[in-house]
Amino acid sequence: MSDEEHHFESKADAGASKTFPQQAGTIRKNGYIVIKGRPCKVVEVSTSKTGKHGHAKCHFVAIDIFNGKKLEDIVPSSHNCDVPHVNRTDYQLIDISEDGFVSLLTETGNTKDDLKLPTDENLLGQIKSGFEEGKDLVVSVMSAMGEEQICALKDIGPKN
Amino acid sequence: MVKRREEEWQRYYAAWPLKRPVMAKVVSDYFVRLHSHNFAWIHSLHYGVLRAHLYFRPTAPAHSTHHSAVSHLSLAVPSSATTMYQAGYHQNTAPPDMAQLQATMRSIELACSSIQMHANPAAAEATILSLNQSPQPYQACQFILENSELANARFLAAGAIRDAAIREWSFLETDYKKSLIRFCWLFIMKHAGSHEGYVQAKVASVAAQLLKRGWLDFTAADKEAIFLEVKQAVTGSQIVDVQYMGINFLESLVSEFSPSTSTAMGLPREFHEQCRTSLELDYIKEFYCWAQDAALNVSHRIIGSDSAIPEAKVCSAALRLMLQILNWDFKGKKNAVESSKRGLDVYCGDIKPESNFLGRSECILVQPGSLWRDVLISSGQVGWILNLYGALRQKFSCEGYWLDCPLAVSARKLIVQFCSITGTIFPSDGGYMQRQSLVQLLSGIIQWIEPPNAVLKAIECGRSESELLDGCRALMSMAAVSTPLVFDQLLKSLRPYGTLTLLSVLMSEVIKCLMENLSEEETWSWVARDILLDTWTALLTLDSSGHNDLLPPEGISAAANLFAIIVESELKAASASAFSDDNEYDYLHASVSAMDERLSSYALIARVASGATIPFLTTLFSERITRLHQGRGTTDPTETLEELYSLLLIAGHVLADEGQGEIPLVPKDIQAQFTDVVDADKHPVVILSGSIIRFAEQSLDPEMRTSFFSPRLMEAVIWFLARWSSTYLMPPEENKGNKSGENNNDAQVRLEHSKNALLSFFGEYNQGKLVLDIIIRISLTTLVSYPGEKDLQGLTCYQLLHGLVRRKNVISHLVSLDSWRDLANVFANERGLFSLNAAHQRSLAETLALSASGMKTSEASNQYIKSLTNHMTANLAELSCKNDLKHIAQQPDILLLVSCLLERLRGVASASEPRTQKAIYEMGFTVMNPILIFIEAYKHESVVVYLLLKFVVDWVDGQIIYLEARETAAAVDFCTRLLQLYSSHNIGKISVSLSNSLLSEADTERYKDLRALLQLLANLCSKDLVDFASESLEAYGVSISQVVFMGLHIVTPLITLELLKYPKLCHSYFSLLSHMLEIYPEVVAQLNVEAFGHIAETLDFGLHHQDGEVVDLCLRALKALASYHYKEKGMGKVGLGSHATISKDPGGKVQEGVLSRFLCSLLQLLLFEDYSTDLVSSAADALFPLILCEQNVYQNLVNELIERQTNQMFRLRLTNALQSLTNSNNLSTTLDRVNFQRFRKNLHSFLIEVRGFLRTL
Repeated sequence: MSDEEHHFESKADAGASKTFPQQAGTIRKNGYIVIKGRPCKVVEVSTSKTGKHGHAKCHFVAIDIFNGKKLEDIVPSSHNCDVPHVNRTDYQLIDISEDGFVSLLTETGNTKDDLKLPTDENLLGQIKSGFEEGKDLVVSVMSAMGEEQICALKDIGPKN
Repeated sequence: MVKRREEEWQRYYAAWPLKRPVMAKVVSDYFVRLHSHNFAWIHSLHYGVLRAHLYFRPTAPAHSTHHSAVSHLSLAVPSSATTMYQAGYHQNTAPPDMAQLQATMRSIELACSSIQMHANPAAAEATILSLNQSPQPYQACQFILENSELANARFLAAGAIRDAAIREWSFLETDYKKSLIRFCWLFIMKHAGSHEGYVQAKVASVAAQLLKRGWLDFTAADKEAIFLEVKQAVTGSQIVDVQYMGINFLESLVSEFSPSTSTAMGLPREFHEQCRTSLELDYIKEFYCWAQDAALNVSHRIIGSDSAIPEAKVCSAALRLMLQILNWDFKGKKNAVESSKRGLDVYCGDIKPESNFLGRSECILVQPGSLWRDVLISSGQVGWILNLYGALRQKFSCEGYWLDCPLAVSARKLIVQFCSITGTIFPSDGGYMQRQSLVQLLSGIIQWIEPPNAVLKAIECGRSESELLDGCRALMSMAAVSTPLVFDQLLKSLRPYGTLTLLSVLMSEVIKCLMENLSEEETWSWVARDILLDTWTALLTLDSSGHNDLLPPEGISAAANLFAIIVESELKAASASAFSDDNEYDYLHASVSAMDERLSSYALIARVASGATIPFLTTLFSERITRLHQGRGTTDPTETLEELYSLLLIAGHVLADEGQGEIPLVPKDIQAQFTDVVDADKHPVVILSGSIIRFAEQSLDPEMRTSFFSPRLMEAVIWFLARWSSTYLMPPEENKGNKSGENNNDAQVRLEHSKNALLSFFGEYNQGKLVLDIIIRISLTTLVSYPGEKDLQGLTCYQLLHGLVRRKNVISHLVSLDSWRDLANVFANERGLFSLNAAHQRSLAETLALSASGMKTSEASNQYIKSLTNHMTANLAELSCKNDLKHIAQQPDILLLVSCLLERLRGVASASEPRTQKAIYEMGFTVMNPILIFIEAYKHESVVVYLLLKFVVDWVDGQIIYLEARETAAAVDFCTRLLQLYSSHNIGKISVSLSNSLLSEADTERYKDLRALLQLLANLCSKDLVDFASESLEAYGVSISQVVFMGLHIVTPLITLELLKYPKLCHSYFSLLSHMLEIYPEVVAQLNVEAFGHIAETLDFGLHHQDGEVVDLCLRALKALASYHYKEKGMGKVGLGSHATISKDPGGKVQEGVLSRFLCSLLQLLLFEDYSTDLVSSAADALFPLILCEQNVYQNLVNELIERQTNQMFRLRLTNALQSLTNSNNLSTTLDRVNFQRFRKNLHSFLIEVRGFLRTL
């Protein structure tokens, strides 16, 4: 574990807790939710009733934002759910090392070297080829509940 | 085997729900399927052939790459028309080369069998395709038809004749065309007895299509000659199969001439319409008589014999043809003339007002006009068909006849169809003759349905239900052509009671059946109920212009009895389903929308007898409430709750109509009754409404709420209140009648009095305000005390509250109520309502903002909006200024807060009205900067980005036309910055995720964003169309068109081809683009090369889009560009300047001018590609100015086109056609309306002339 990562983690923790309670009825499609301890993005919400004259409950179908697995949950809509604090930070890509780690430039001018490249061939290809062509790439890193991962990249042109 | 299938087919044919247009098509499809159960490939192949045909390009000769058999084929087919003519069409007169014909036949047969066995299907398809596409394959096809042993090969050959003849029609000689038709006709006559009926049917339909294709070219004598033979076959022949085939041919012909079932054949609608009119005027009645004669001739033999005889087949085919003809959409002589005058607009004929009544089971009125009187009415047809069916009924026990045998089915259908004959066919004798005819029909039909309980019992024991259902349909048809009084009288001459009583008893029995078999899968009772319900609807809504003739007393009591049974059955169904939990959570939506129609029909029945039914509902309602209170704490209330739920829905439907955006009146039937009621508080409607409102009010008590008012029951309560209040709560003064009234008729006065008593009871100066207060308090309760009940809260926000603030006289009281102030306060200043669904918060914000116009002065209204929004805007502004925004922004609680606030602001923004415009502008102005900050902070949070964009879209939409120049400049500047920011965040961005569904979500989000951006640009555009500002925009250096073009330039790179697959996005993009090009061509001329290149590319892409609407938009844009350039040039200006002469492709290579490029691609499209004929007119509008702009280029293209044509005859035709395209009709070189019109005409005839051979050779 490098110092930089430690620094980042503690900063994220200082502001707020990792999850927040929120009423199930207010969680919308495309919002976030914690299911079985995993941070997920909701792709489908439907409501049903417990018996004809009972109360509403929400049925969530969600996808783990890190590993892409599908998870489901049913919660009475007046109850609270945990919502993860999903943070995204942009870094400029400085280098890709031989062992599959990337070197990123933070806003403060430090480097962040603890993030691995994605394992998926396709994503890997996009990042590597862009980098090899000498483009300036900005990567967005998504972090939630102590995990982080590259979630998007953007070509900001060769000039900058 | 074949016979049995034949019968199946006929049953299928007679299957009821087929509507007029679809019938023949479905049947012919089925015919093929049925007879070639293992030849399903024929179908796919046939379509495959067509498809391949469409994509065939002249540049890629089809023959070259094909299977070896093809070369035989192309040799076998005579290469020029002249040899064809010499050869004649009969292969036996002068066979050109027997061996070659044999070879072709063998290769086709081989292909057929190899496809069937899935051996190298691609090559086989190619072989067959080449037969269809080869020039003039007639001789080969005829040879195959006559000689092949293989039915499939014959089937394909028939199709090939059709395809080739339609394609080459314009240059076949008239005699040859006629001989082709005659060949087909002789073929079906000769092989009438063949077992492969589908081949015969196909050949018959080919003959019909060719006959139609030549309908306008052939002389009357030609047609007479053909029809003489047909008549001979149908009526004169004693051979069953020949008669049958003759009728079959007529069937194909009639369906080919009926616009909705006709084949397009690449011809304009006018052609089809002319054919339709001609057939209707000159032939269709004759056809009917022939069919009738054929049926008459065989009917006595059928009646006379004890078992099934082959003649039954002819008879049922003839009856079917008669039915088909009666289904014809008669336009009559007058309309025909008008419609041919109207030219292209032929399909928008008059909508028959009579057939407009509500109804799921469609009832088509037959209105053939007075010319048909002798055939249908005076000839005693009705008696004959009734007799025939009566005789058949006796035979149902015999072998070969049963209730659903084809003959019986066709006979019944025809009888039902006779019931719906109406219009000028009957003499104007006050409806006497029509009544006579209906009574006669009813005397036959009554045996099918009476006595109802015995008939239903028999069906439950296994008898077929089709006779009962047809009986019900006959009643419906009768109801559709008569008034309630006439309808009721019909049966009086046969029975001691009226038809209404019969209808009521029959329907009661059906509903009882339904109740007993609730869970069973039997569907006939549902069908019967729906038809009978439609019968009532037809009777009771027939006269929309206020029918004052109420039902006779007997009919009223029949309706009341029926309604009692209906309610009983609904309640029984409700309590039975109270505990079922089979995912019926959306039952309310189902009952309020889908079941709405059924409940409205119930309501119609209840209203005609409202004197009895409304007190009845009150009794039922109070019984349930008493039961609820008695059992409190001891028994489970669920069943009673469910019954109350149903009762609320029924009562809501009975008492009030749905507004559909307007303010509904008290239903006429309810107004017209209760004339003897003097005291308003004794009025049954008041009593029922009062007891429901009092019950609803109990939900305010927390204890009562938890024990009784389940979310579902509350939904019904809210729904009822919404529906009821829009009719009865504070009705506008003008709805009341004039009290003084010049009309001193006593009954009239009493009627007015009771109506006014009812209306003023819940009016502004009586109980209205009190009830309004109760309603608002109930609404607040559902919003606060039912956390997470989305549906309930949705109903409250959208239906109830939204309905209230739409009415002027309600809002003025609303804003003075404490309960409304409480609601506004809770919403604006407390956090409680943040837990509402976001869309509901938006709607609530809109509702609250709309109520501001209830304030007395405009200042007060603006003040109200300010106090409503101050807190929210301040909140957003404060948040945006925080130093650590970047870190806290993505915290879930902040995310929730920001999105809720944005939704609310958006709601307020969409409530923009002139009166509150100032305050809403201020609101938007305050948050402009925060929004730009947020769009940066949330650039990864697409949900928030979308909300931000949507807020701006709605705000601009509501504000832009009112804004002064200075304000506009600020708004436009803000929008531009927003666009730039959005673009800088998103251009070149690639989402990376392991999950496909997350990736596609990301796509969808991007799509939604772009749609919002396009909407924003479109909204900005509207400033140039409507502008209330006092000074002009130019003073501030703002040009809307330049801004929008810049916006387009920013947005266009974000739109990928992938995204253009979303039709909505595609439409809004192209409509914006073409709008801009049409309105501001001069701005386009000033664009830089890159921006212009973008637009040209986009247009080129759109021109080849598969969506006709998009192509149309692009054509309009092209027309605008070219016309602009031509006109400017004419005035000695530059027009599009360098863009017109030179353009650059993305690689920077210099290309020819943009206009000549479009001229090429448009010509290519028109001549060789596939498009809808609807586009020809707009293509003409674009092509004409293009030709004028680039005359040299056009001349070169034309020469090249002619050069390419090797066949001398075609070359000549092409040259002539091109000549007349630009020269006929006095076309001149000015771009005015007349010239555009002329050119459109020219292009139409040009394409008909040459497309046939250009596309295939």
